[in-house]
Amino acid sequence: MSSNDKNELYLILDIDDLQTKAVLIDRAAGGYGIRGTSQAHTTVDPPSLDVTVGVEKATRDLGGSVGKELWGTDGPSKASRFLCSSSTGGSLYMMVAGVISMISAESAQRAALGAGAVLIDVFSRDYPRQEFEMVEIMRSLKPDMFLLAGGTDGGAVLQVLEMARLISTADVRPRFGSEYKLPVIYAGNIEARKQVSDVLSSERYATKAVDNVRPVIERENLGPAKEAIYDSFMQHVIIHSPGYNKLVNWVDEPIVPTQAAIGRILYAYAMERKVNLLAVDIGGATTDVYSIYDGIFNRSLNADIGLTYGISNIMKIAGVQNIMRWIPNEMDEREVRNIIGNMMIMQPTSPTSSETLVQRAAAREAIRLAVEHHKKIASRLKGVSLKRTIADIFNQALEPSYLDMMKTQVAIGRGKVFSQSQTSDATLLLLDALQPEGVTEMMIDRFSVMPHLGMLLKENSKAALEVLSKECLLRLGTCVAPRGRTNHGEVAMRLRLTKADGAMIENEVSFGELKVLSLHDGEKARLEVMPKRGFNIGIGRGKTLEADVVGGEMGLILDARGRPLNVPAEKDTLAKWVDTLTHGQQSPARDRGVV
Amino acid sequence: MASSLQLEIEELSEMSYAERVRFQENTSVRKVRRIPAQGQVLVSKGDRVSPETIVVRGTVFNPEIHEVKVYVRLGVDPTEAGKYVLKEKGDEVKKDEVIAINRSFLGRSKVCRSPIDGSIETFSKSSGRVFIRGKPIPVEVKAHIPGTVVDTIPGEGAIVECKASLIEGTFGIGGETVGELVTAVDKPDEALTTDLIKDGHKGKIIVGGSFVTLDALREAARIGVNGIITGAMDQKDLTSFLGYEIGPGITGKEKTGLTLIITEGFGIDPMEERTFNLLESHEGKQTSIDGSTQIRARMLRPEIVLPL
Repeated sequence: MSSNDKNELYLILDIDDLQTKAVLIDRAAGGYGIRGTSQAHTTVDPPSLDVTVGVEKATRDLGGSVGKELWGTDGPSKASRFLCSSSTGGSLYMMVAGVISMISAESAQRAALGAGAVLIDVFSRDYPRQEFEMVEIMRSLKPDMFLLAGGTDGGAVLQVLEMARLISTADVRPRFGSEYKLPVIYAGNIEARKQVSDVLSSERYATKAVDNVRPVIERENLGPAKEAIYDSFMQHVIIHSPGYNKLVNWVDEPIVPTQAAIGRILYAYAMERKVNLLAVDIGGATTDVYSIYDGIFNRSLNADIGLTYGISNIMKIAGVQNIMRWIPNEMDEREVRNIIGNMMIMQPTSPTSSETLVQRAAAREAIRLAVEHHKKIASRLKGVSLKRTIADIFNQALEPSYLDMMKTQVAIGRGKVFSQSQTSDATLLLLDALQPEGVTEMMIDRFSVMPHLGMLLKENSKAALEVLSKECLLRLGTCVAPRGRTNHGEVAMRLRLTKADGAMIENEVSFGELKVLSLHDGEKARLEVMPKRGFNIGIGRGKTLEADVVGGEMGLILDARGRPLNVPAEKDTLAKWVDTLTHGQQSPARDRGVV
Repeated sequence: MASSLQLEIEELSEMSYAERVRFQENTSVRKVRRIPAQGQVLVSKGDRVSPETIVVRGTVFNPEIHEVKVYVRLGVDPTEAGKYVLKEKGDEVKKDEVIAINRSFLGRSKVCRSPIDGSIETFSKSSGRVFIRGKPIPVEVKAHIPGTVVDTIPGEGAIVECKASLIEGTFGIGGETVGELVTAVDKPDEALTTDLIKDGHKGKIIVGGSFVTLDALREAARIGVNGIITGAMDQKDLTSFLGYEIGPGITGKEKTGLTLIITEGFGIDPMEERTFNLLESHEGKQTSIDGSTQIRARMLRPEIVLPL
C-alpha cells in the first residue's frame, strides 16, 4: 500500500466509559464516506484494566466487516491513519481560577469548556468565598488539571500570585494517581509567569505557561490555553488510565477529549457554511450545548443532567410538573416519577412506549435548562466599557448573551433521544426544546460519529466535512417560526414558496398552528414570509422576509405556536402537534393547508 | 450505507443494558474495612470478629478551618504581621490562646487569639492571615460482617472475610447497619404496610414484599427499625420520606434513621422469588446491609450480606 493510499484511509476511534467505537473512512468513487463501524466494550475497568483490549476488538471487528487488515501484530496496522478521542473516566475534570470572576475566571472557564472539560469548580479573588473554603474544595474535589488565569498582560500580579499561593497551600492532588504531578496551565499575565512558576512547586505541579486568555480586557485569546489543555490531557491525564500508555504510541495525532472533537467539527461546519449554529448533545448523564455565533465558539456543560443516570436530576431541578406538561398522554404523577426513578437506576436501552414519552418530555426540560445555562457562558466579554446611546436601547448586540434563536441558522440535536426516535418525534423534540425563531435549518446527528469527524478534521478537513454533510447529519427540514403572540386562530404569517421548477405554494398559518409543507431533502426553494403586524420573522415586526430555504425529511416546517411557546394544558393539542409531524412527513399528497 | 449503519447502531445499543445485580449464594464475601487516614489497627490476621468489632481507630482531617486576620487584630500592615506571630505552622493551639502579639511600651499591647482548639494550618505572609484547623476528628470502623480477619492494612484497617450469601439491590438509602432479619410478609407480592410493623421490630431488619408504603416506612423509622428490604417503593413516597428529591443517584448519607434497600425498582414490583426465598431462609439471623448507591460509572449498588 502506498503512503498516498494510507493517507486516504482513516481508522478513528472514540472511547467512552462504556463503549469503544471504531469508524473507517476512506475515499471511493463517490467521494469520502464511512466504510464501516464497529463497537466493543471499553476495557479500562476490571477485569481487563487495559483500554487497548477494547480498541483491538473494535478494530479487528471493523477490519473483518470491511475485509481489510486493520490490526497488526501489536497495534493497528499501518494501512490507515489512526486517530482517537476519549472521554473515559467521565472525561477531563478541571478546576479553573482567575482574579475577577466575570473577567479572567470567565475566560478561563470558556477555555476549559471549549477544550471539552467537565468544570468541577471556578475560583476567583472576588467570589464571596473565604480562602479556607476554596482550599477545602481544591483538596476534596480532585481535578485532572488546573487552569490558572488572571491579570491582563502588564496588569495585576499580586492577585495572580495570591491565587497561585492558594493552589500551593491547598496541595491539590490529581484525581487519578496521587503520586503524579498535577498539570497546571498558567494562562494569565505574562509578566507573572516566573513568579507563578516559583510559587507552584515543581515537585507537586507540572506547570506550563501559555499566552494569556485575556491579554487585554477587550479581547479573549483562548486558543493557546486550549491547545495546552489538549497537550496536558495526553501527557499527564489519560496516560495514567490503564493501557493508554500503549495507545498514545499508536495514534498518529494526539488523543483529545471527545467533547473537544465534537466542538471542532461543529465549529468547522459553521465556518464553512458561514452560519450561526446551536447544537445540543444530550447523553445519559450530561447535556452539552455548543454554539457558534459570528465565528465565536462556546461550549457549556450541564453535569448530572441526562436521560438515564441524570434524569432524576432533571426532575429535581425542573420539577415533575414541567416534565409532565410535555407528555401528550394523560399520565399519573406517580407513574411518571416511578418511570424516571427506574430510568435512573436501570438505564433501559429498549424503553417501553411510556418510558419513551417520559424520556422525551424530560429531554425537552434538560435542553431548556442547558440552553439557559449556555447563555451565561456564551456571553459578550464583561468588563468592557460600552458606550451606549439612546439608539442602543434595543440593540441586540449589547445583549448579555450571544445566543439568539432569531439569528440561529442551524440547530442540531445529538444523542440517542434524537437518533433512535422517529424523524417526526426528533423534529418535534428539537422544535419544542429550542423553540427556533425566524428561519432555521434543523438537523440531527444520526450515527454519532461527530467525535470521529472532529478528529479527522485536522488530517483531512474536506473528508471530515463531506462525511458530516453526507452521512452524519440528517436534515429534518427548515423551520419558519415568527416571534410574537396574538389570539389563537388569527393569522400569524402568510408565505409563498417558489420551487426550482417554478411551482409555487402559498399558505397562511394561524397563531397556535404547526404545519409542514412538502420540500424534499436537499431541495432548494425561495421563500417569502409575510408576518402579520406584531410578528417578527427576523428583520422587524411585520416586515416581509425573503430567503433561500432547503428541504429535509420533514419538509418545510411552519411553527406559529408562539414564542415563547406556552405548552397547552389540553393534551389534545400536544397530540395534534405529534400527529401533524407524524403524518406530515414527506409524501406526494401532503401540502396540507394550502390556500 | 445508511441502513447498514443504522442496523449496527441498533445492535450496539444492546450492549448498554444495565448490569444485572449480583445474587450469589454460599460465597466468600470480603470487606475492606479502612479509615481514610492513618490510625491504629485493633485486629490481627486470623482474628474472629463480629459485626460490632472495632477494626481500626484513628483520626481524620477536620474540615473546620478558621481564618484569623492577624493584621487586623494587631493593627499592622498585612505584610508586617509575620513579625508578631508566635506560632509556627503545625503548632497546636488552644481556644483563646495568644497566637500573635504586638507589644507596646506606652499603650496597651494588642493580641490575637485562637478562636478554636486546633493547630496552625498555614500563615500567609502576604495577606497577614493565619489559618487554624480544628483538632482531628476521631473515627473508627467496625467489621460490619462477622468473620475472620484475612489481612491487615498497616495503619489503615483490615480485610474481613466470611461465608455468606450476597444480594445486591437496585437502589437504597442510608448506610451500613446490622440486625436480625425478620420477614414481615408471607409472599413476595405482598405489600409492607403499617399494620405489619410491630414494636418488636426495633433494631431489626424487616423484609417486605412488593413494596413498602410511606406510612409503614415512617412507622418503622419511629419505632427504630434498622433496615427495610423490599421489592419496590413508590418514588413519590420516597421523596416524601426523605423530604427532598433524590437528584443524581448517589446515596448512603441520608439521615432518615433507617436503611432502605429496594431489590427491583420503583413502583409496585414483587420481589424476585429467589431473593425472597433466600431472605426468608435467613429469618432470625444476623444480617449486614448497606444502602449506599452510586448509579454512574463504577456502579455501587446497595448490598445485603447474609452470613452462613
